[in-house]
Amino acid sequence: MKNVAALGPCLAVIFATAFGAMVVDRYASHRALENGQAFALHLAAYLAQEGDVAIAQEGDVAIAQLRAHPAVQSAALVKVVAADARYPFLRRLEVVAHTDPSRVGTRLLASSEDDKRVADLVHIGGVTALSDRRFQAGVGSAVVTSMPITRVGLPVFGLAIGALAALLFWLDLVRKQPTSRVRPLIGALLCVGTLFTLLGWRIVAIDRLEGAARSTADPIAATFLLAVVVLLPLVGTGVLGSMRGVGPSPHRRAYAYVAPALVGLSLLVVLPFLFGVALAFTSEVDGQTTFVGLDHFIHILSSTGRRLTEPLSFYFTAAVTIAWTGINVALHLAIGLALALVLSDPLLRFRGLYRVILIVPWAVPSYITALVWKGMFNQQYGLINHLLLKFGLEPVAWFSGFFTAFVANVTTNTWLGFPFMMVTALGALQSIPKDLYEAARIDGASAWQQFRHVTLPLLRPALIPAVLLGTVWTFNMFNVIYLVSGGAPNHATDILVTEAYRWAFEQDRYGYAAAYSVLIFLLLLVWGLFAQRLTRADES
Amino acid sequence: MRLRDLVVHAGLVATSLLTLFPALWVVSMAFRPSQSFDTSLLPIPEVISLDNFRDLFSRPHFFRQLGNSLLVAGLTTAIGVMFSCTAAYAFSRFRFPGRRAGLLALLVTQMFPGTLMLIPLYALIESLGLLNRSAGLVLVYSTTAIPFCVWNLKGYFDTLPRELEESAMMDGAGPFVVFWRIVLPLSRPAIAVTALFSFLTAWNEFILAATFLSEEQAYTLPVTVQSFVGAFSTEWGHFAAGALVVSLPVMAVFFALQRHLVGGLTAGGVKG
Repeated sequence: MKNVAALGPCLAVIFATAFGAMVVDRYASHRALENGQAFALHLAAYLAQEGDVAIAQEGDVAIAQLRAHPAVQSAALVKVVAADARYPFLRRLEVVAHTDPSRVGTRLLASSEDDKRVADLVHIGGVTALSDRRFQAGVGSAVVTSMPITRVGLPVFGLAIGALAALLFWLDLVRKQPTSRVRPLIGALLCVGTLFTLLGWRIVAIDRLEGAARSTADPIAATFLLAVVVLLPLVGTGVLGSMRGVGPSPHRRAYAYVAPALVGLSLLVVLPFLFGVALAFTSEVDGQTTFVGLDHFIHILSSTGRRLTEPLSFYFTAAVTIAWTGINVALHLAIGLALALVLSDPLLRFRGLYRVILIVPWAVPSYITALVWKGMFNQQYGLINHLLLKFGLEPVAWFSGFFTAFVANVTTNTWLGFPFMMVTALGALQSIPKDLYEAARIDGASAWQQFRHVTLPLLRPALIPAVLLGTVWTFNMFNVIYLVSGGAPNHATDILVTEAYRWAFEQDRYGYAAAYSVLIFLLLLVWGLFAQRLTRADES
Repeated sequence: MRLRDLVVHAGLVATSLLTLFPALWVVSMAFRPSQSFDTSLLPIPEVISLDNFRDLFSRPHFFRQLGNSLLVAGLTTAIGVMFSCTAAYAFSRFRFPGRRAGLLALLVTQMFPGTLMLIPLYALIESLGLLNRSAGLVLVYSTTAIPFCVWNLKGYFDTLPRELEESAMMDGAGPFVVFWRIVLPLSRPAIAVTALFSFLTAWNEFILAATFLSEEQAYTLPVTVQSFVGAFSTEWGHFAAGALVVSLPVMAVFFALQRHLVGGLTAGGVKG
């Protein structure tokens, strides 16, 4: 009876997924229509570059090329054979080449008001597009291509079924007394889901061709990637589901609870990370990816072509990064701690007000802070140079020298970073029992001695994690460097992360940038291990 | 003693002014009917006008961009919280092989800069055709949101007394029922705070958004605001108005919740 009652919700879920798949399908068809037009226009524009004569003579070749494309169902070349000067909106068209040879030579009448009707006249189903330029040029030809209407509902449906199976399996694992009865059902669902996904993945890839047409990304690679992304969770849950119990039985539940986060992170973090590491060993020239082994690493680490102490050499940038991190964290800590000590006095007037004001920089998004300070340091209209002028000093061109640019960066980051340390220290100060100070005073300790021997040791457990965190934050403080100095002058004030970013997105050298990133990763890993040892030693 | 008080207050007032001035300048520039940088010493506009805001709201895609920001931050938060609740509970309550390694791995993923993952994610998003789509950005932000949520929630679950769960178990509730009926309702405030902070992180994120989005309809608000600051000329008035619109709600939430943040941060650590 109980099993029959459980059928209801199950059926409801399945109907809901089916309905969802249908809705997605509708939407996807609509999107595909747009994508198809964009893609066809792209091809048309490409062919149009070759000129009338070439197209007229090599029409069949062009058509063959178009036909070979997986996205194109049929294509036609249309040529304007007569345009009446008195009725410019009327043109007589002739099909000079067509994927269906029987249509070659068909004569058509087209009006410029509705070029899409040309396509209707050519009787090509699906999506059509043609290059308007050709018509405007007077005598010319048009490329009409058509795209198959893609249906994306299949993989979505498959995914939904897979997700349902995974959910069932998960609930089964989480339950106190796992039943193996649902396992066959899960297995069947997984099979169906995989089948649908396999059927659908190719279609999805075609739907994504809009992106491919623009970026010249390989559609096959896209398909493959998509397949991995889609299939991985299915296969993963399938493997898990086929095992009777995951791990030793008392821990099975724990793993089941961790599973959602694990699946999410392996897709979003582990997979891209591995891909990034693989990228570090390759080089891409004109869209051709070649394996180059350790070349990038050797190039970076031997700082080829530059002296070690020159900007853009890895060692120089690393030194700047370390100086940047050290100076900032020291300033944050000193200012934050000093303010916290002053504000922790319960007799201080306007204590709450000061606290609220001093925390403002933390609340402002860091990119806004950075952009405001960039304006304040501006040589012509910047506020800081105006102040200098008022006091009879020379205005400074902040971003043309390494030292001044570095100072500008540090100032910005100090403004934005000290409240965190202040708040942390304030919280920790409040938890120090007051009688400790009393005892210290009775023993005749001076204010400095109280600070040195009572406050500091008791602040340590709270401050160490905060400092470690602040270090990582500052090390990775992309926004300030990128937006304030922008690495000026000549990359000298760049830190490692901004430099890696530039290699990737300003030089388009993804492989090199990936190698750079791997090196940063290793540096941070060493730091992380050291930090972990530090906190553990502190705990024990 | 009097003198000492005076010195302390003088120092605090000076620091407060230094802290407030850059922020006040933004406010002042937002309400000035001009696009140049405010160089007056006192950040008080001579004429108050709402021109900058009117310009901002009447930009072609402004409300679409606002919608993008809301969508991206909202979805990221939903994914982060949904994927992390049970994991945080397991890390807090169960002892199992791989627990320490798992926690450490989560911490490590939080420590590494977003720019490192940027290149592979960019390639991935590009080949999926998700550049200039909110979905792509949600995927990227989730890489940060999930570890952050796990750590923050774990910290809270650690503080919940186990007795409640044990007594429920005695009454015959299964472990999942305990989690669903007792632990989750009890941690509603913690979940809300965690969700809000991951929302704010996504709402404020600029560099990934600027890298992944190139079409204006796809922009999130930070990219819009940054686009006013050009290499050669800057529309400071529009920038300031945009900065206010983007950051004022965020700052309000921040001030309401900042007490909760410090504990969670130092317990786990978050990337900037």
